[in-house]
Amino acid sequence: MRMRRIAPIATAVAGALVLTACSGGGDGGGDNGGGEGGDGALDSLTIMAPYFAEVPPESDDPVGTALSELAGVPLEVQWVPNTSYGDRINTVLAGDDIPDVMVITGKDQGFVSTALAGGFWELTEYLQSGDYPNLVSENPDVELASGVNGQIFGVYRARDVIRSSVIIRQDWLDNLGLELPETTEDLAEIARAFTEDDPDGNGADDTYGMIAPQWPGGIGTSSPYDTIEVWYGSGNVWRDEGGELVPAFTTPEWREALEYERELVQSGYVNPDYATMDPATWNEPFLNGQGGIILDVQSRAAQLADLFEQQEEGSAATKVALAGQLEGPNGTFALPTTGYAGFLAIPRSSVENEEQLEQVLQILNDLNTTEAQNLMNHGIEGDNYTVEDGFAVFNPERQEFTDQVTGAWAQLGMNVAGYNAHPIQPRTEFLGELGELRLQLQEEDAANAVFNPAAGLVSDTYTTNGTQLDNIIGDARIQYLAGQIDEAGLDAAVELWRTSGGDQVTTEINELYSQLG
Amino acid sequence: MTSATADVGAVDDGPLLRPEPPPNRRNLLGNLVRYRWLFLLLAPGVLYFALFRFWPMYGAQIAFRNYIPFLGIEGSEWVGWEHFQSFFSNPDFPRILGNTLILAALGLFIAFPLTIVLAMLLNEVRLQVLKRTVQTLVYIPHFLSWTVVVSLTGLLFAVGNGPLWTTLNDLLGSDTNFLADPDWFRPLILLQSIWKSTGWGTIIFLAALASVDQEQYEAAIIDGAGRWQRVWHVTLPAIRSTIVVMLILQTGNILDTGFEQIYLMSNALNRSVADVFDTYVYFTGIRQGAYSYSTAVGLAKAIVGLILIFGTNALAKRLKQPGIF
Repeated sequence: MRMRRIAPIATAVAGALVLTACSGGGDGGGDNGGGEGGDGALDSLTIMAPYFAEVPPESDDPVGTALSELAGVPLEVQWVPNTSYGDRINTVLAGDDIPDVMVITGKDQGFVSTALAGGFWELTEYLQSGDYPNLVSENPDVELASGVNGQIFGVYRARDVIRSSVIIRQDWLDNLGLELPETTEDLAEIARAFTEDDPDGNGADDTYGMIAPQWPGGIGTSSPYDTIEVWYGSGNVWRDEGGELVPAFTTPEWREALEYERELVQSGYVNPDYATMDPATWNEPFLNGQGGIILDVQSRAAQLADLFEQQEEGSAATKVALAGQLEGPNGTFALPTTGYAGFLAIPRSSVENEEQLEQVLQILNDLNTTEAQNLMNHGIEGDNYTVEDGFAVFNPERQEFTDQVTGAWAQLGMNVAGYNAHPIQPRTEFLGELGELRLQLQEEDAANAVFNPAAGLVSDTYTTNGTQLDNIIGDARIQYLAGQIDEAGLDAAVELWRTSGGDQVTTEINELYSQLG
Repeated sequence: MTSATADVGAVDDGPLLRPEPPPNRRNLLGNLVRYRWLFLLLAPGVLYFALFRFWPMYGAQIAFRNYIPFLGIEGSEWVGWEHFQSFFSNPDFPRILGNTLILAALGLFIAFPLTIVLAMLLNEVRLQVLKRTVQTLVYIPHFLSWTVVVSLTGLLFAVGNGPLWTTLNDLLGSDTNFLADPDWFRPLILLQSIWKSTGWGTIIFLAALASVDQEQYEAAIIDGAGRWQRVWHVTLPAIRSTIVVMLILQTGNILDTGFEQIYLMSNALNRSVADVFDTYVYFTGIRQGAYSYSTAVGLAKAIVGLILIFGTNALAKRLKQPGIF
């Protein structure tokens, strides 16, 4: 008899609980679960950030503890795997539990519309005021590029401006008596020779020139194709022609570059699975001696050198060669990055008043001190690394921890006012040389860097349709290279781009450009 | 219904004239008490639908607004049909609808009948050990995730060394990258679906087949019916209603073309045939944060699905088959 009474009541209570839990979902997120009160100072800081490491740091991670001490409040980082980070931003923005600081990796519609509606603090004046010396950008152009039409919504994460490079199998060059390429023509010849002239000398026709993986995203994403097109002088996403911006892919130079790329693909000088190869396996054909050319960031050369060293000590120097921008038929142009990789933005729904905002900015300022930079990028001195002659030397026995630091905590680094952490002691002489070569190439290429003139501009139509628009051209490009469509098909794709909203994007960008550019 | 109307009229005339209500609708409370265990049994189902099916519909209104989470649902600007208009006038729309319908039709007309064929084949197996072994084996793929299935496909069709890539290209005398060729996208998707779900789909038909009256077979044998005739004149008519119901249910899911499978199998070269409603909603909604637009697309998909269900149901009725409603 007793059971009879209790069961329905229990059901009703459980139902009511679920209902209350749900009804919180409707009100746009006034409070957060971070544990701080509505008005007073924050007693902890939640940060959402991506990580690349195998596993994210635990909550009692020593680096986290040390950073919390620097910040003066406990830091709670919500680590999200980098591969799904973009998805997570948009889901978190639509939910209730919004962190105090979010690393924003792209100016897509979810972020831009929220920011323009006042969902993120506009930081332009705060950052430029000088109240937070470590947040004053040493490169105002990059800061502007990270913003939305002149408004800065976050502290950007600084990156090298020149990263794109050509990585080549040194031993194959030596076997065939070839030099490092200086022009795009040289590169095509090397790709041909690597395919047809048996660079590994095994007598079998088992090699190809360039290794290109499937590239997620459309155009202007620093893919090998984008790199070649910039070398040809197509401009970087947009090109300024007498004060008017035109899309790079409408220029004759872009077509010329595509012709060159198509020639490489059609002649079999590129891996046959260029449209489907998993980018995570990009290094493998290079290591296994299937392909000999990679167009990617300079740091991949160091990565490859490391992998060769693991196979055979001292072999890297004879296997990996690095070159910078190549001269194209229309001049010398280098592809720069945007100079930043996302930014740390402060949502208004969790940081509710100016007092709290100033506190958060102060914390971010503290997280940009040299001490914090050392923590984020190297780890704990005396634990996983020591300092010798001013260089950081890692303890090989703590490699796992080091990987986690560099694969997670380093993602919080902004370094907008300069990076002063200890330089890393190169593990081998060759890696040291490679590092110096990188600096030298960066300096040379920077003089020829072609920046995207519209980097800091955000057009409404692009925000809503950008991905599809970029995909129209990106897909058409691959289809053209594959021989699925011809010039007319390419024209049709550009026409489709125009009518699907591309023309509107061009108009809007030009309006913004004349106002702000 | 008529008695209820009479009831209301009677109340208006005055309480004294009120006739005795029919016993089964005496009063709600009485019924609640009387059938409390049945109601309790019903509660979780009702709760599930209320919470997970009806409550979210409140949020579906963002399809008619420029939804910005920071402003909340109520605070976001009302724009009416704008997002629907921009989707229907978008060149993506006919392509996505076409791709979705073609994939759905392939599933319906090829994969679905195969399930029935396999179920009948299994039913004909007389050796119980063999039957059970085969049954277990064909169920296994169902438990693999799409990620695993797609990875397997990737390995089998890898350019240069995939065993199926080599065999097929030798047979066809071609040099195709099956994973990237738009002409091969649909066959691959269909093959994967068949491999993964045909076995599992047989369960319900096997149950229906088991309930077929054995005497009918005996009678048919006495009448001199061969194996094929027995299948055609006894087995198929006996499970006809199951087939029709399954077909209608299948049509309801027709537009759920399987997000994971298609997303994982698509790339720049086959996207023209690979874009379907589900992947489109993911790209625009989750990737780009176009919450309102993608919700509108999702709703449009639901409407197409609804039309298909009603269509199939009406068709079933016209063919003198019991529909599902």
